[in-house]
Order: sequence, then C-alpha cells, then structure tokens
Amino acid sequence: MEMPLWLDAIVAALILAGALVATIGSLGLARMPDFYMRLHGPTKASTLGVGATLVGSMLWFSTAQGSVSVQEILITVFLFATAPVSAHMMGRAALHRRVGCQEKTNGQPWDEMDRLSGRAAQSSSSGESQR
Amino acid sequence: MTLLSVVLLPLIGALLVPLLARARSPLIPAIASGIVTLAALSLLLLQAPTVLSGELITSEWAWIPSIGLSIAFRLDALALFFATLITGMGLLIILYAHFYFAGKPGAGRFYALMLAFMGAMLGIVTSENLLFMLIFWEMTSLVSFVLIGFHSDQRPARRGARMTLVITGGGGLALMAGIVLMGSIVGSFNLTDILAAGDELRAHAHYPLILTLVLLGAMTKSAQFPFHLWLPNAMTAPTPVSAYLHSATMVKAGIFLLARLHPALADTDAWLYSVSTVGMATLLTGAFIAMFKHDTKELLAYSTVSHLGLITLLMGLGTATALVAGLFHLLNHALFKAPLFMMAGAVEKATGTRDMRRINGLWRHMPLLTIMSAITAASMAGLPLFNGYLSKKMFFIESLDANVISPLNWLTPVLAAIAGLFSAAYSFRIFHNVFFNGQPRELPVWPPRKPALGIQLPIILLAAGCLFVGWQAEGIVHGLIRAMATASSGVKAPAYDMGQLHHVGPAFYMSLAALIGGLILYALRERLFELYDQLPPADAREIFEWLMTRAGNGAERFVHALENGSVQRYIALIILTAIIMAGPVLANVVWYGAKPMTPADPLTILGAILMMATAFGVVLGHRNRLFALLLLGSAGLFVTLTFARFSAPDLALTQLSVEVIAVIIMMLALSFLPQTTPVESSRLRRSRDSIIAVLGGLGTGLVSFAIMTRPQDSISDFFLEQSVPGGGGSNVVNVILVDFRGFDTLGEITVLGIAAVAVFALTRNLQLKHRIPNERDQYWASNPHPLILRTMARPILPIALMVSAYIFLRGHNMPGGGFIAGLITVVALSLQYMAGGLAWAHDRMLTSFRPLIGGGILLACLTGLGSLFMGLEFLTSWFGHYELPVLGHIELATALLFDLGVFTTVVGATMLILANLGKLMTVNGPGEEIG
Repeated sequence: MEMPLWLDAIVAALILAGALVATIGSLGLARMPDFYMRLHGPTKASTLGVGATLVGSMLWFSTAQGSVSVQEILITVFLFATAPVSAHMMGRAALHRRVGCQEKTNGQPWDEMDRLSGRAAQSSSSGESQR
Repeated sequence: MTLLSVVLLPLIGALLVPLLARARSPLIPAIASGIVTLAALSLLLLQAPTVLSGELITSEWAWIPSIGLSIAFRLDALALFFATLITGMGLLIILYAHFYFAGKPGAGRFYALMLAFMGAMLGIVTSENLLFMLIFWEMTSLVSFVLIGFHSDQRPARRGARMTLVITGGGGLALMAGIVLMGSIVGSFNLTDILAAGDELRAHAHYPLILTLVLLGAMTKSAQFPFHLWLPNAMTAPTPVSAYLHSATMVKAGIFLLARLHPALADTDAWLYSVSTVGMATLLTGAFIAMFKHDTKELLAYSTVSHLGLITLLMGLGTATALVAGLFHLLNHALFKAPLFMMAGAVEKATGTRDMRRINGLWRHMPLLTIMSAITAASMAGLPLFNGYLSKKMFFIESLDANVISPLNWLTPVLAAIAGLFSAAYSFRIFHNVFFNGQPRELPVWPPRKPALGIQLPIILLAAGCLFVGWQAEGIVHGLIRAMATASSGVKAPAYDMGQLHHVGPAFYMSLAALIGGLILYALRERLFELYDQLPPADAREIFEWLMTRAGNGAERFVHALENGSVQRYIALIILTAIIMAGPVLANVVWYGAKPMTPADPLTILGAILMMATAFGVVLGHRNRLFALLLLGSAGLFVTLTFARFSAPDLALTQLSVEVIAVIIMMLALSFLPQTTPVESSRLRRSRDSIIAVLGGLGTGLVSFAIMTRPQDSISDFFLEQSVPGGGGSNVVNVILVDFRGFDTLGEITVLGIAAVAVFALTRNLQLKHRIPNERDQYWASNPHPLILRTMARPILPIALMVSAYIFLRGHNMPGGGFIAGLITVVALSLQYMAGGLAWAHDRMLTSFRPLIGGGILLACLTGLGSLFMGLEFLTSWFGHYELPVLGHIELATALLFDLGVFTTVVGATMLILANLGKLMTVNGPGEEIG
C-alpha cells in the first residue's frame, strides 16, 4: 500500500524522537554524578525512547500490511509494565546497600532510614521487656 | 525356538521367583523354581534322540550383524550333555536347597540367583555364536560373585567372592580378546565356521597368542593351577552353591570350552604341552593339599581342583580315546562330587561344624547318609565296580600311552599314579573321619540333629547314579560319551575298547598301587599332618589380599596424581593435549581458504569489538566475581545479537533465554562465595596458564577461520531440501533437532536431566553456614519481596506462558520449539520466586520436578519407540495435514510430542536446579526437600 507523506512524516518523527530519547538516556547514564541520578537515564530510554520507536513501527507496519500489527502493542505493554519495576528494584537495592549520593541531594534518604531504624530498635527492645 | 526357550526359561524364572518369595510358604518359590528347571530339562530331553543320532540343531536370529553378533544356538551331543547336567543337577540342588534353607531367610534370593546362573550356564553350552557366548560367560562370573558372597555380612564370604570375580573376570577378558582375534581371522564368530577353520587358525601367526588368551579364560574358570586359589576360597558360599557351581557346573565351563574349541585349536605341540602340563600341575597340587585340609568343604574343593586338573590333562593329550576318558570322568566327577558336597552341608547342619578333627563317628546318628557317602567316596577313590574306577583306569591307560617328551615318557604314568594315591587317601579320609574314627569331639550341636529325608534324597539319587554308571558303563560310553567325543573333536570317534578296562595289565597295577598306597598314606595320617604343619605357612589368600590392596592403592595414587580435583589442571591438560596433538599438523595448513569473505559492515565490526572487549574484561576483572559475571552476561548478549544479525532467530532466542537463566543460577551460586577471589597462584603459573590459553584460543580461532574460508559440501543442503518433505516442518533448525538429529536431542535432554538430579543430590543435605540476618535488614528497604514487583509478576506469568505456548506450537515451522519455550517458562516461573519468595511460590505451584524430568525423557523415548511399532526407524517423525471445522488448517506431527518431552525436561531440570540452589539461600536454612 502506498504510504501518504504525512504518515511517513509522523513515523519518521516518532522514530527520531525515540532515538533522541535513547541517546539522551545513554548520555545521562554515562555522565550523571551518582547512582540515583544515573538511574533516570535508562528508565526514560527504555520506556519513552523504545515506546516512541514502537509506535512508529506499529503505524508503519499497520499501514503497509493493512491490518493492525499486534506484536508492537504487546511489546509496548510488556515494556511499560516491566521497565519501571526493574528501575524500582534497582533503586531499592541501592538504598538497601546504602549506595552514596550527592551531597546536595534534597531530603537525603539516610535521614528517613535512621529515623525508621531508631524506631525499629525501640520496638524490638520494648518487645523484649514485654516478654 | 526350543533352544531359545531352554535358555530363557530359567532367566525369566529368575525374574519372577523373587515375586513369590513373599509367599507364606517357603515351598512356593522352591516349587516354582523346580517347575521352571523341569520344563527346561524336558525340552532338552525331547531333543535327545535327534541329537544323539548325530544331527546338529541350530537356530539363529540377527542381533548386531555389523560386529558379527547374533543370537545363535546350537545343540549337539556335547552341548546336550552339559545342558542336561546343568538342568538335572539344578533340579536336585533346588530340592536340596529347600531343606538346607529351611527356616532361614534368603531362600527366595537364592532360587532367583540359582536360576539366573542356570540360564547363563545353559547359554554358554548352547551358544553357536562365540560373542553371544561371552555374554553368558561374564554372567556366570557375576552371578557366582553374588552367590559366593551370599552371606554378605561375613568378611570371608566377601573376600572369597571378590577373589573369584577378579580371577574369573580377568580370565573372561582374556577369553574375549582371544575370541575377537579368532573371529577376525576366520571372518565369523559362529562356531560352525570357526571349527571348520581349524587349519587356518593353527597356521596363523597369531595362533600362540590366541591359544594363550583362550586358555587363560578356560583355566581361570576351571580353577587350574595357578588360578586354582579362588575355588577353595569360594567355599564360604552356602553348600548348595558349592555343590552346584563348584562341583558340577561353573568349574566345568572351562573344560567345556576346551572340548568345544578342540577342532579349532588342538592337535599342536603348543596345545599338548601347555594344557597337559597345567592339568598335571593342577592334578598333583590339588590332590596333595586336599589330604591335609581339616575342613570337609575345603578338602572337597581341593579334590575338585585335582579332578579338574585330571580332565584338563586328558583334554591336553587330545587323542580320541583321551577325549572319551576325559568326558567320561567329567560325568563321574559330577555324580560323586555333588553328593559329597551335599553330605558336607547336611553334616554341618546336623553338627554345626565342618572340622573333621571334631566330627567323628557319625554312623550311629545317620546310617543312611553313611551308606550313601560310602558309595560316592568309593567312587571318588576309584574302588573297583564303581564309575570312578572306570574313568580313572581309562586315565591311567591314557597316561601310559601319552607321548609328551619322549625320554621322559615314564614320568606321566608315575605322576598319575602318585596323584591317584593321594586322591584315594583323601577319599578314605573324608569318609572315615566323618562317619567313623572314634567318637565326636565337642560338637557345637549335640546330639547331632537327624538330617531330614528330603535333604538326603538328592544324595541317594546321585549315589544311585554312580552305581548305575558303573554298572552300565559300556552302554553309556558307547551311546553318550562317544557321541560327545565326536561332537567335540569334529571327527567320528572310534569305538572305545571297553575290554581293556577289565584287562589285568599295567593300568590295573597302577590302580591297585594307588589304592593300597592311599590306604597306607591314610593310616600314617597323624604323622603326615605333623610334617605338613612344619612346612612354611603360605596363605595364598593373604598374598592375594596383599596384591589386591597394593593394586588398589597404586591405582588410587595414580588417579589422584592425575586428577587432583583442580578444574584448572583438567582444562589445561585437555587444551595442552589438543595443542600437542593437533599443533604440528595444523602448523603446515594454509590458514586462508579460497572462499571470499563476507563484506563487513560497521555495525557488525562494532559489535565484534565490543564482544571482544567484554571477553577481555572478564579475564582482567575475574577477581571481582559479580563484575566478571555481568561482563560474561553481556558477552552472551552480544553473541545473541550476532545470531540475530546472521539470520539465526532460533539460536538468538535460545541464547537469550539460556543467558538469562545462566546468570540467575550463577548469581545464586556466587552468593555463597566471597565477593572477590584472592590471588592464589604464583606469577609463573599464571603466565604459564595464559600462554596455554592464548595458544588454545588462537588455535581454535585459526582452525575455524581455515574451515570457514574453504568451500565445502556440507550436509546443510540436504537438510534444507528435506526439511519440508522429510520432516514436515519449514523451520530447519527445529526439524534437525526433533527429527534428523532427534537421537542427539534425546541424549542431550537426558544429560540435562542427569545434571539437574546431580545438583539436587549435592544440595540435598548440604548445610551451609547459617546466614545471619543482616543488621541493615531492619531498614525500610529490607522487605525482600516488594509490593510493586510482586504485583507486576502475577499478570506477567500468564502472558509469558502464553508466549511460551505460542513459541512452542509454531516451533516446527517458525523460529521456536520446545527448548526455547521451556526456557521462557522457566524465566517466568523464576520471576515468581524472586517476587514472592520460595515459600510463597511453592505454596502456589507443583514442585515435583524430578517426575517432570523423568516424564519428559520418557515421553521423548516413547515417541521414538512409537515409530518402531510403525515399522520405521527409531525416532522417525510422522506428520499429516488436516482441515478442522473451527481451527482451519492444522498440521499434526509426532515431532510435536517429542518436542513436548524436550520442553518438559528442560522445565523440570532448570527448575530443579533453581529451586534447590535457592533453597540454600533462605535465612532459615534448608527446609524440606524440593523436587
């Protein structure tokens, strides 16, 4: 099927946008100063970047084959469901292992953690006294 | 067909009798064994008229034609005689054993082993194909090992059994080599061909080697000097075993072999000297030692050794009359030695001991046994009118005629007479010492229990047999023995002149001298025992044990020197071997072939460089384990990309799933190790190792390069052409896996299953140091199974399973298949483990992984076997195309079932490994068994 120019343009724009986001994400991964900031780069690249590319691909193939291309939808759904979860897990792991962060970070996680651990220590000692 | 059933009957019986052993009455397994034996015996006797008239019955089924192995039987007079002896004696032993084992456990096991042994012996004597015979030959060694070690809780029994196995098993190996040599010279393993090719064999340059090897086999089995050691040590076996194996059957197998191969190997000086010298040495040694043994069974064992030597000597002389004498003595020996063994067993049961210095004067307590033993002992001593007298006299006549070394011809009869003298002496001794010779001394059981009539019945029958053969000797020698000698030598044996047995000549005086000398020797026994006790003690058993221990220790040291448990060393050895073996050849090969190179695009080059960089990174950073593992994983991802780039989607899919699971499993394993590896080896060693590694890698790379740049006719064109018409699928990779190379796949999934079960076994009772909950685990990030992951993992499972099913079903025509689908399922399931934890996941899934592995392999095997039933080769796949109402066009192939087996095995094996490694990680230590 012949592709109208405006559709071609949309597909091209989507793919370019995806590539741009992926590049920025990779740069971020390489250049950001600490782990927590670096995490931002690949998460955007894997959702927004790949997502835009997939939408472009879906548009193009659906037009070319004359029927809706299911594969891309499935991949997109899968990616949007899993990528944030893995980013979340990585963040948790970093916190758990107390990976250091920039000095100027607002609301450093340690404050919160120390507050909670103090409470945990209290609760465990009170548990003993009850026994 | 008859012969096949004769051999199969006892073997099948051996499998079935243990099922009856739980029956309430001990009579039932005995009767069942008896019926089986009787059936085999009657089948044999039905053939007797045909066979004795000189006809040869053979039957043959092909088994492995390419190596000349066939299921082939032959029955001539020689085989018929031995087979009748085996089954007939077996019947009597079963009767005897029923009373011998009365009230004791293990009778069922005994009958089963007896029947197995009987089947094996029948196989030896009725085989037409020598390779086929070897199977039975080894089987007798193995079964006799178990039978001798029947009382496996006693140390002497175990040692005796081991000695027997080492000696007879070693002889079996020599025999195998001899038979293979014979077969390769003659071009067939069938006896008919080998016996006909006697002249060719004797003239061949390898004849001395063949003769040595075959004789080693025969001599070890028939307990000939110096291999006779095992027989006295095998007396730890229950008495029915001794009476059966060590008087009538197993020890006769070697002699049977000598008689059987007579036309092929005999009639040479080498045969004459080696066989008759060994026979004579055995005859004298056995007869001499037997006299001084105080244990009834040991005396009988050494006497058996000496009688076997006598028969071997006659086989060595090799004339037609010597053959007749030897075979006749073989019959007589079975008739008188088995009842004597049975007597020894009955007396031991009655008195609790076998020591002849304590058992005396039993005639008052067991008069019937006394009379029967008198007959059999007289036959063994060679008293006139008994069968033993006749065959012994035949032996003396042969010794007079023997022409061994001409100036020393007088030596043979003299030595024969001396042996006869000792044999008469020990025959007198075993009879007189047991039944007369004063009063019993300090018997463990007093008064002696009266032996049951049943236990004496076989003895009575055999004693009657002795008398009958003595009485009807002429008819038996002419009717049976002559036919046997004919069958054995291949030429019609001349009628044996029975008249010379009644003639008063030199042989008569030799017999007389032996008898009188034996009496005198026995009268002087007390003084002789004193003299014998002064001889330096030489316990062959201890020497043998010493040798065995030395050999075992030596082997262990050697193995440890070679395999010290260092994986690095193994790999270094393998690679070094490859370099040394292939290096010199490959150095002269032109590395660059004629085929033009594929043009390389920048993307591929970049990928290749990155892949190499990750590989180098692994080497450089291997001390940080996690880092190295991650780099290894990325190297795997680049391999995946390479596959995808070169249009191999199946490989890419597989590689990707394998990579994911491998990294997960390695992570689990690594969590038990320190994060970093210390430097353990010296700089020198590391440089040596890197040189080996670089050489190995360069060699492999260059070889691949050299092969791939050469134009070649590969089999892949065939696969591409045949994939759709032959395998019914357009995905060539999958069709190769499940059809063309299905057998390989079957082997691979079996290996996978074995590896998984090994991991299961290793981690089963493994107690690693308890993992102490980390101090930081109290922080808010401590929850190991966070809500977001847990929530997302659940909907992902059905989606992943759907993808897996899709990939599985389309596998035959599109990229996919059982292996990939299995791996995807495993990835989805392992996500559940990670998200919810081991306990959470196990509450929600079936964890019988081992049955899953077994079921998968079984399904794959059954699919393969199914094609056999359709008359096709193993694992041929079948397919058809159908139009179904709703689903439309559908293709059904048996390959799908096979693939399902692959899928099941992969899931079961990988999950078993994952779950058991994961189990070790739980804070509370290993819980219940998983899988």
